[in-house]
Amino acid sequence: MASHLRCEDIVVRFGGVVACDKVSIDVEEGKIVGLIGPNGAGKTTLFNVLTRFQDHDVGHVYYRGEIIDRKRPFEIVSMGMARTFQNINLFGEQSALDNILIGAHRLTGSALPNIYSFPGARQRERELARRAGEIAEMLGISDVLDDPVKSLPYGSQKRVEIARALASNPKLILLDEPVAGCNDEETAELRDVVQRINRELGVTILMVEHDMSMVMNCCEYIYVMNFGSNLAQGTPAEVRSNASVISAYLGEEAAA
Amino acid sequence: MANEERVPGRNVAAVAALKKRFASQNAVLVILLFVTLLIMPLFPGFKGWMAGQASLVIIYVLAAQGVSILTGYTGLVSVGHGGFLAIGAYAAALLVKYYGVDIVTCIIAGGVAAGFVGMLLGLVFLRLAGPFMAIGTLGFAFFVGAIVNNVEIFQGRTGISLPPNKVLGLQIGDTGFYYVSVVVLGLVTLFIFSLVRSSVGRAFKALRDSEKAAQSCGVNRLFYRTLAFTISAAITGIAGALNGLITQYVSSEVYSDIWYSVDILVATVVGGSATLMGPLVGGAFVAMLPFFLETLADFSFILKGVVLIAVLMFAPAGVCEVVARPFRAYRRRRIEEAASGSTPAARPDVGAGVVLAGKGNP
Repeated sequence: MASHLRCEDIVVRFGGVVACDKVSIDVEEGKIVGLIGPNGAGKTTLFNVLTRFQDHDVGHVYYRGEIIDRKRPFEIVSMGMARTFQNINLFGEQSALDNILIGAHRLTGSALPNIYSFPGARQRERELARRAGEIAEMLGISDVLDDPVKSLPYGSQKRVEIARALASNPKLILLDEPVAGCNDEETAELRDVVQRINRELGVTILMVEHDMSMVMNCCEYIYVMNFGSNLAQGTPAEVRSNASVISAYLGEEAAA
Repeated sequence: MANEERVPGRNVAAVAALKKRFASQNAVLVILLFVTLLIMPLFPGFKGWMAGQASLVIIYVLAAQGVSILTGYTGLVSVGHGGFLAIGAYAAALLVKYYGVDIVTCIIAGGVAAGFVGMLLGLVFLRLAGPFMAIGTLGFAFFVGAIVNNVEIFQGRTGISLPPNKVLGLQIGDTGFYYVSVVVLGLVTLFIFSLVRSSVGRAFKALRDSEKAAQSCGVNRLFYRTLAFTISAAITGIAGALNGLITQYVSSEVYSDIWYSVDILVATVVGGSATLMGPLVGGAFVAMLPFFLETLADFSFILKGVVLIAVLMFAPAGVCEVVARPFRAYRRRRIEEAASGSTPAARPDVGAGVVLAGKGNP
């Protein structure tokens, strides 16, 4: 299988703190890949490096073999990579539909015809609204499309954020803790959503997640980070039985 | 079988039809407003001097509309739009004085000149946000004031006196100028209406609500921020051109005054900075206040301050937002009913006030 998103020997320093120390991961096309590790392991920093929200000091990030170290954050999405945020980062005052439409921003074309709503732009707007409706249906948020997102329950907000990421027609979605703060039922539902996105739309998924039931049941391959470095990698079964992973999570004695 | 029909539970066609009807109700009300403005001079009680006063009100509204693009929709508070007003006014004045051009050209030139400076300012202030943006734009207004006070071509406090206004070679009086102002206001309002509902308006609002999330959606921060600055400045520049032309006199005494900047910001905030009708209501309020207070005109500063504080405390989204809320809630209820199919979508109703906030688009 081809590599979809890869990073090599990434180093990120914040002053004296080394948040990422020679981290390498490789996300294969079409898979659901997990990135786990204790708090402060550098997962979110790595996520921000991959999506260009954070500059790295050493190393390279490759998207389908092309180095993207110099891309700006807003250019990432037009390559086919969308993301969500750790703490929900929606446009709170705006409706769920508007949030999804902003997600489709890269498909709207240049500014001028849109400002004056030229016929072509109007046609495209209709098409985007229709597609937003389809995405909303897939995620089960059709009936809240007109509501301001800040008034929605937590689980629905999570779905709107995933819908917004999907609206750009991505080939790869990076989910930063998609089920954090969700109860068991919501977690199961979101797992289903994530698997359907992967299976039905053929979207590669990389997720940072603390919820082990989510990671172990959903991911085909898992990378473990600890103290800013690669600790282990493998299938869920391999990772679960890896001694160093157990010690990182539960302490030395548990592993011994 | 019947079960299958009910499962989606949402009558999409009825909702779409209802939304369309609410939108056309809004449009009818706005068109009525502009028709009223256009036929106003035909009323028997309308006097010549009223046309001049009404034009000044419209100029305030236009200036506030410019501010609303930047402060309301893009979330960048500007305390310096008086600077763009001045640039528009001087651009128009110099063109009339030295080249004797038509006022239509002057108005466009005022917008272009202010828009260009706005673009540069947007680039310079790329990294500013919040209170720092407010201070930066305030500094810009002082900067423009210093320029017009000291650079010779602007003739400082002596000012530039202008000949009577001409449209297409025809000399026009106050009433003629009033018509020009109404037409400009109509065009700018239509432009803003189209802008804030387009992908560009969405990008502005996205940057306002979360720059990070906006960028993750592919919104180019540099481009859209600069664009917001440019459009905002251009609209206020157009207001400035009109202001210079109607008073037929442009001097630094008027345009280096920081109160212009404050007034149009107050107008925008009081009316509702992220609503289509907000600047119209707020601009009219600020422009007409001294007029109503007559001999107590100096008192208007205090009253403006009191109103501003009251609005910020009790209705931070502006007066229009508050007035529109019950109407919007009513329409939402109607849409919900139509969606669940409990009531037929076709039912006569009056949804007047919603238009104040422009179709509920915060």
